[in-house]
Amino acid sequence: MNARRATPWVICALLFAGVTGMGLRRHAEHQLQLTHGDTLWRLTYDVDFRAEKSTARVRVAFPNDAKTCRVFRQDVSYAGMRAERLRPSALPSRELGFAASRGEHNFSARFDIHLSPRARFRSSASDTTLTADARAELLHGTPALQTSDPAVVQTLQKLRAGAGKNGNFVQKVFEHCRSELEPGDPALPQDAAAVLQRGTATPLGRVRAFVALCRAAKIPARLVTGFEVKEALQAQPHTWAEIFSDKAWEPFDPENGFAGEIPHTFLAVRHDGGDVVRTTGAKQVHTGYSIVRLPSGLGAYRAAHRSLLGIVDLTRLPLEMHEAMMLILLLPLGGLMTAIFRTIIGIRTFGTFTPTLIALSFIFADWRTGIVVFLAVLALGLVSRSFLDRLKLLMVPRLSIVLTLVVLLICLSVSLLDYIHLTPSAQAVLLPMVILTMTIERFYLASEEDSVRFALQLLTGTVVVGVCCYLILRWGAVGRMLLAYPEMHFFTIAVLILIGRYTGYRLTELFRFRDFLATKPGPDSPPP
Amino acid sequence: MIRHLKDWFWIRPRELHARGVLGINRRNGDFVLPVNPRSHYPRVDDKLFTKRICEPRGIPVPKTYAVIEKQGDIRKFVELIHGQQEFVIKPGHGSGGRGIIVVARHDGSTFHTPGGNQFNLADLRYHVSTMLSGLYSLGGQADCALVEQRIICHDVFQSVAVGGTPDVRVILYRSVPVMAMVRLPTRGSRGRANLHQGAVAAAVHLHSGETFGGVCKNRAITVHPDTGAPVAGLQIPYWDKLLAAASGLSDALEMGYIGVDFVLDATQGPVVLEANARPGLAIQIANRQGLVPRLRFIDAQPPEQLAPPRRMELVPALAAIP
Repeated sequence: MNARRATPWVICALLFAGVTGMGLRRHAEHQLQLTHGDTLWRLTYDVDFRAEKSTARVRVAFPNDAKTCRVFRQDVSYAGMRAERLRPSALPSRELGFAASRGEHNFSARFDIHLSPRARFRSSASDTTLTADARAELLHGTPALQTSDPAVVQTLQKLRAGAGKNGNFVQKVFEHCRSELEPGDPALPQDAAAVLQRGTATPLGRVRAFVALCRAAKIPARLVTGFEVKEALQAQPHTWAEIFSDKAWEPFDPENGFAGEIPHTFLAVRHDGGDVVRTTGAKQVHTGYSIVRLPSGLGAYRAAHRSLLGIVDLTRLPLEMHEAMMLILLLPLGGLMTAIFRTIIGIRTFGTFTPTLIALSFIFADWRTGIVVFLAVLALGLVSRSFLDRLKLLMVPRLSIVLTLVVLLICLSVSLLDYIHLTPSAQAVLLPMVILTMTIERFYLASEEDSVRFALQLLTGTVVVGVCCYLILRWGAVGRMLLAYPEMHFFTIAVLILIGRYTGYRLTELFRFRDFLATKPGPDSPPP
Repeated sequence: MIRHLKDWFWIRPRELHARGVLGINRRNGDFVLPVNPRSHYPRVDDKLFTKRICEPRGIPVPKTYAVIEKQGDIRKFVELIHGQQEFVIKPGHGSGGRGIIVVARHDGSTFHTPGGNQFNLADLRYHVSTMLSGLYSLGGQADCALVEQRIICHDVFQSVAVGGTPDVRVILYRSVPVMAMVRLPTRGSRGRANLHQGAVAAAVHLHSGETFGGVCKNRAITVHPDTGAPVAGLQIPYWDKLLAAASGLSDALEMGYIGVDFVLDATQGPVVLEANARPGLAIQIANRQGLVPRLRFIDAQPPEQLAPPRRMELVPALAAIP
């Protein structure tokens, strides 16, 4: 079939598919209802601090998916700070680290949480085995949980004397911490030994005593900090304990009297005790938390039963995947941008996907570091080219030498940046380097097969289109929309088909052929 | 005043359309994509293949003295060239004239270039060996070396070619010549006849073979920038023979939209240098004419008019399209 005639039909079919897909999705969402008993909440963190040193660090614990809770939306803002990837720990908590320069800073985060009493979500971490190392860690004493202090040991012996098997023993410890310790003055020291000696404790002191006693009795125990989810404009974090017995963690809350089971509204945020927000090198730290109940809205109902249709629903994936998915879904728009620049404006680039890939590598890198690295590598490449030319080497070894020099330069630059306290993250270095090497190879081939001027022209074009692609990839709102409705890319395909059939003039041609205005029509030569 | 400024910087699409200028999108979408089968492109890029098609059909090409495809053949180089005193060695898949050696005379062990340089047999063998390894080929792929006849340029271009050999490019659509130009090297293009690199092009009247117009770096010109001599008014010798050869090659390559490059030898006349599947559009600036009316004219012809015996009758009509 003639391409000219087929095109409108294909476009219509794509538009139809896109609109139908979106319509069906919205319809399905409206049909689902929030199960009776489930609730939606919004937890907000607001942290203000002042960094004294230029290497102040903040570590914030985020709520994670568990059996009774699912975080379905997250917005974090940390202007003026740099996010750092922390090593993944075996704990079920999520923690994010930030580095801040000197001065006042504010960090805020918002989490939309779906709580269900019926424990039907898939937990994101399975926490049923304890390695020997982890076990040893959880039996160890710490400055606040002294396991070898006389006060702790004495209390332990006293309790042991009256207990039978281990299970009963834990109950006795629990009872002791719950009833034998009077509510006390927060100004007094609240570590386990002091509390047991004094006989008075705040809620934190109470649970510390519990954990210290369990650890002294060789039962792995840990402090868990979280929130009791109920409407509160000034919510306070609450700390309870968990002990490991019979291949599972059992929660205990001596303050509120929960033993072995806690209500599903207790949202755990950090599993290694202490505060939700930890800082080093920062002063005047003010933390504020608030919890608000959300009306039943879209975005939270993911049915417990698995249906095949769930596969087309990308928001079903855990929150960590969302960011990666949004980035991937924005890549075709980068391709669209390259097509518009080339076919309609007339700016040519190295390859079709190079600008999009360059933009992608800048997303992970800090763009300032990225530009410095880019320019340095390019300069090195151009300089070494003139030397390598003289050696008259074959192409593949020649380009590999360029790669080797680029690698050495990048390692040196990373070390230099670290020396002046501007350490880039690992991702900031790896991805840009791979893409830069590809670009340099093409630059060389272009400068050899055509001319350096032409190669520079292509390079400028690639950078210009790359910058536009970068701006698109940073466009969170569109990314979220594409995540919710991936069928919108049928529209992208439709637009690309239209561009592919475009046979009009490019904008650069209006400039290139401008002499047709000055010259008269027809050949100015004698007639044949 | 603003209007005058605007006119100087760019031209409106409507005006370009009225002059029938072919833009690159239209060239690709309406002409190249439909009539140039992608599978035939490698034929066009391969100089050896092009030569092997031309020879049986009597299309003049530089005489091939030897083709060296294996490293082992390099040792027998002197025997392979059968005592030819002057020759040119070029890479089979080269571009832009890189790697070409021209030998004016030799005695089996010392070789002299036209410029007066000399080198010995070992140097020559090394150069050919690197050629085979792909040092000068497009994309660095392994290549062959062609040893062929040295073209002595016809003296009609003496006043307008600086530092290199000019060539004549003819664009053919459905094997009918539609437009032609001669590309003249300059100092700026370092002796290469490549418009991207600064060479000058003069249009060639399709019917008479006389030059007119002129373009350099996308601007219309009338004199050669280095010598100051006018580029118009030169008569290309053996013009009809050139057009017929171009048409025959286009048929043999089975490509519908193609550019064929010729070099004019002092004794032999036009010889085919190479073919180009995506010829550039600056030829329109040289001719001061758009390609679209001519291409449409050909599309409007009945099939029997486009067949080999009758297609050259279209040339005068094409040349006269305003």
